[in-house]
Amino acid sequence: MECTTIKDDFFSKPLHPIEGVTLMGCRCRNCNEVFFGKYVACQNCGSEDLVDTPLSRQGILYSYTVNRNQPPIGYKGKLPFEPFAVGLLELPEGVRILAPLTDVNFEDIEIGMNMELKITKFYGDDAGKPVLAYAFAPSK
Amino acid sequence: MRNVAIAGIGIHKFGRFDNETYIDIGLTAVKSALRDAGMVWKDIQMAFCSRMYLPATSGIRILSQLGRTGISIVDVEAACASGGAALRLASLAISSGECDKVLVLGVEKMPRGFMDPSQLYEDWQIKLGLSQNPMYWAMSARRHMHDYGTTLEQLAKVAVKNHKNSVFNPNAMYQKEYSIDEVINSKIVNDPIRLFMICAPNEGAAAVVLTTNKVAKRCTSKPIMVKASVHKVALYNDWRVPARSMSARVINPHVTELMAKEAYKIASLGPEDLDVAEVQDTDAFMELETYAHLGLCRKGEEGKLIDSGSVDLGGKIPVNTSGGLISKGEPIGASHLGQIYHLVQQLRGELSQAQVPQAQVALAHVTGAGGNGAITILQK
Repeated sequence: MECTTIKDDFFSKPLHPIEGVTLMGCRCRNCNEVFFGKYVACQNCGSEDLVDTPLSRQGILYSYTVNRNQPPIGYKGKLPFEPFAVGLLELPEGVRILAPLTDVNFEDIEIGMNMELKITKFYGDDAGKPVLAYAFAPSK
Repeated sequence: MRNVAIAGIGIHKFGRFDNETYIDIGLTAVKSALRDAGMVWKDIQMAFCSRMYLPATSGIRILSQLGRTGISIVDVEAACASGGAALRLASLAISSGECDKVLVLGVEKMPRGFMDPSQLYEDWQIKLGLSQNPMYWAMSARRHMHDYGTTLEQLAKVAVKNHKNSVFNPNAMYQKEYSIDEVINSKIVNDPIRLFMICAPNEGAAAVVLTTNKVAKRCTSKPIMVKASVHKVALYNDWRVPARSMSARVINPHVTELMAKEAYKIASLGPEDLDVAEVQDTDAFMELETYAHLGLCRKGEEGKLIDSGSVDLGGKIPVNTSGGLISKGEPIGASHLGQIYHLVQQLRGELSQAQVPQAQVALAHVTGAGGNGAITILQK
């Protein structure tokens, strides 16, 4: 089935099958910094010589919290609202990315734990197409 | 460059005021600042209005109530540092020689309930539910606890201190003391951050009249000098609202460290010279991490500093003697100027229970979304 995404430059193409989808970033060819998604220029050195690069599916949890209150206007997650954890995942490329955490009990979350990417069908858009989002779950 | 001084200050209490418009609230602060400086509106040669959640031309809409004098009136927005950015522009207008009397008004009347997240966040963050500011603060706090052994109790102590100080501040929204247990047991907003550790968005205004030293001495027996006024935006890799990622490799100084270094240099002062400070405490952890960024302690020793009592009233360097944003609330455009209002009172020796004896040097600090930050150093 045809899909869209929560933010297009975050995801590799094609979007089907979703098992093959990874997160995308860009790498600066001047200073080697890696960023999540696309940028016009390197946030570190200002070079515009950036190249798309797939990001690893495995990460280490750098920090986290739990969103216990329903987010403001525009939230597309499940309703009634269910609290969810969110963290910063450090990837081998040297970038820490913001990500919802899934398939984990809040009390089992620990800084330093190994987690892996999970592409999720987050909600259906107005045309009924699934909208892909991303989260991280404990590594199996 | 000419020296800059504060000739007058005014405030409208921070809180919720259903029967007052932002124009009423702003005018209250402006009129009291002009009165304090012994001036009338037509004396003012330029004006800045810092605000974030108010409509276009707010400054003109408020100040033209006093008469259309034809001067330049400009609105300034720099998130939580709006007031600092406006104060800096006003200081430049004085020091450059263009103006002798400049008004800076900070005013806000923030919407009740949820703020429109699109003011700060991208569409995907809003849809995924990653659009709550405390979420970002909480992750910084959690990592600091992991790296340095900072405890939940130490975070709570910051809130306890500020709530305790608020009892002496009639302009604070909340004037109520809480125990460490009450803070820790208040509702969890974003683990480890509790409700009594964060500030509420609200309404209020503060204003200052800036002049040259010479003019200030004619206006008031207690002129306060603006020794430094700095506004900056963070370098790459500050973790902040609404960042989507951070580097695991590049370490740059925090925006507050950069601002403090510059402000101390301009003022020819150092952290050891400070007698009192007001710092950004939108959450308790932000105040805690700011201690090291300002040079009040070394990085990692912030928890020890709050334990030592040095930042309490009566301590070596009392911080947030006004009660901080945790108790005053944060009317964004007004918050830095509210800090200035309180610190000018400290330096003039006008307070009672919250007075820091013989305070000579004071520092005000704000930081916020987008990596905005501002520091102002005042001296008697």
